[in-house]
Order: sequence, then C-alpha cells, then structure tokens
Amino acid sequence: MIKVRIPTPLRPMTGGKNEVEIAGNSVAEIIENLTSVHPGIKERICDEQGEVRRFINIYVNEEDIRFLTGKETPLKDGDEMSIIPAIAGGR
Amino acid sequence: MLHIPSGIIQDMITHARELAPHECCGILSGENQSVTETYRITNILATMSEQELYRFEGAKLSDLKHLSPEERADIAFQMDAREMAMAQRDIRSKERDLLGFYHSHTFSPARPSQTDITIAMEFESYRKKLNLPEPLHLIVSLEHTKSPDIRAYRIQDSKATEVLIKQIASE
Repeated sequence: MIKVRIPTPLRPMTGGKNEVEIAGNSVAEIIENLTSVHPGIKERICDEQGEVRRFINIYVNEEDIRFLTGKETPLKDGDEMSIIPAIAGGR
Repeated sequence: MLHIPSGIIQDMITHARELAPHECCGILSGENQSVTETYRITNILATMSEQELYRFEGAKLSDLKHLSPEERADIAFQMDAREMAMAQRDIRSKERDLLGFYHSHTFSPARPSQTDITIAMEFESYRKKLNLPEPLHLIVSLEHTKSPDIRAYRIQDSKATEVLIKQIASE
C-alpha cells in the first residue's frame, strides 16, 4: 500500500482525511485508484488531457515526479506520494 | 535578520511594477539567511479555469469566482508548479537553500493577508515531511507607488512575525 498525502483543498473529497492508503504500482495507478474510492478527485488533480494541473506538484517520497518518470513513476510498498499545490496567496 | 543585496531588492520591485496591477511572485535562494538569487515564477491565476479555483477553498477567497480572470490576478497569485519545481532543483544543484517566497500586493500594505497565512500554513504542513527548509514570506507593496515597501515574515502557528531585512550593497 502507498500512503498518499492529500492537500487541504482536496480533503473535502476524502472525508477530511489528510492521508489515505491506496494500492497501486505507479503514480498514474494511484490517481485512478484514488478516484475509484473518492470520485471526482482525478479531475481536480489532472486536466482534460490527463496531465497534472499546472498548480500541482506530485512528490514520491522527497522527489518531484517531474524529475523521476512523471506519472509512470513506479511505486513500491512503503513509498509515500504527496499531492502538493504550489504556493499561492491573496487578499 | 535576512540580508538582501540592494540589486535583488530592486529586482523584486521591478518585477512587481512590471506585472502590476497583477500580483507577481517568486522564490529567493541563498545561504545563512543571505539572499543570493531570485527566481521569477509565473502567476498563473489569470489563466486558471473556474474549476481550478477549488485550490483556494478554505483560504477565504471564495469571491474569486465572481471576478474576471484578470481581476483575480490583481488580488491573488498562484505559482506555476513546474517553474517552482525547476527553481527548487536549481537551488539544490547549487547547494543553496530556498530562503523564501515573495509576492506583491499591488494595492495593500506589505502584510500577509489571512489567505497568505492559511496557504503558508498549508505549505508548512508538507514542508517537514519533504525535508525542505523553513521559508520566509516576503511581500512587496506597491500601495504607495513612489515608495515601495518590502517586508519579510516568518509564518508559524497561523501567526506572522516580521523578520527584519538588512539591505546590503550588491557585489
């Protein structure tokens, strides 16, 4: 199982949980499997082309998946995946 | 105290003025609380879809949906995640630290808003798990057009505490 960290704006979709455990062998599989448990979450993370939205970074352990193999980055038991919106702010 | 070369302070002010009335944003790197470099990051808010504004849910910016995309970027910013990741990688490759984030307030003082604090705390909750250093949050205010104000804050436990900036001569 992979521990997935859920960012604050997505927690309403996970019943308020900041971490969930999901099975999957790659980042893409985790996103799919996360959506089957929490419908609609994939559309929040990925755009219409299936790419990670421009304000979200996904980390596997301490590395951004852009510097690994993107959504195909393989995962193994015990890995941690973090979905992290880039810094923002406003009035 | 945060040491910033005068040239870098001028760069941040120039960035803020170039993007006004939109808010600008960027990253500061360096070592031992001395800034050595800035990275301008694109504020993508004006090009975000209405559906993507969920990102600000919980951050007291629910009125964003009632504004035009251009107006949204006047009162808020969202860093481009890819540019932020590239900057962090460059900082790491130079064996420097991410010292802080900066953004502009076009019409208001150089003080963090409640949204700034909420989102800084959101970042803080991930930061330790990702082994990133604690950043300061700098705000460039253009409220008084002829005398821009830059201030730095440490944001912890949902409170912003000002950290003095010492301007040093650029090399």
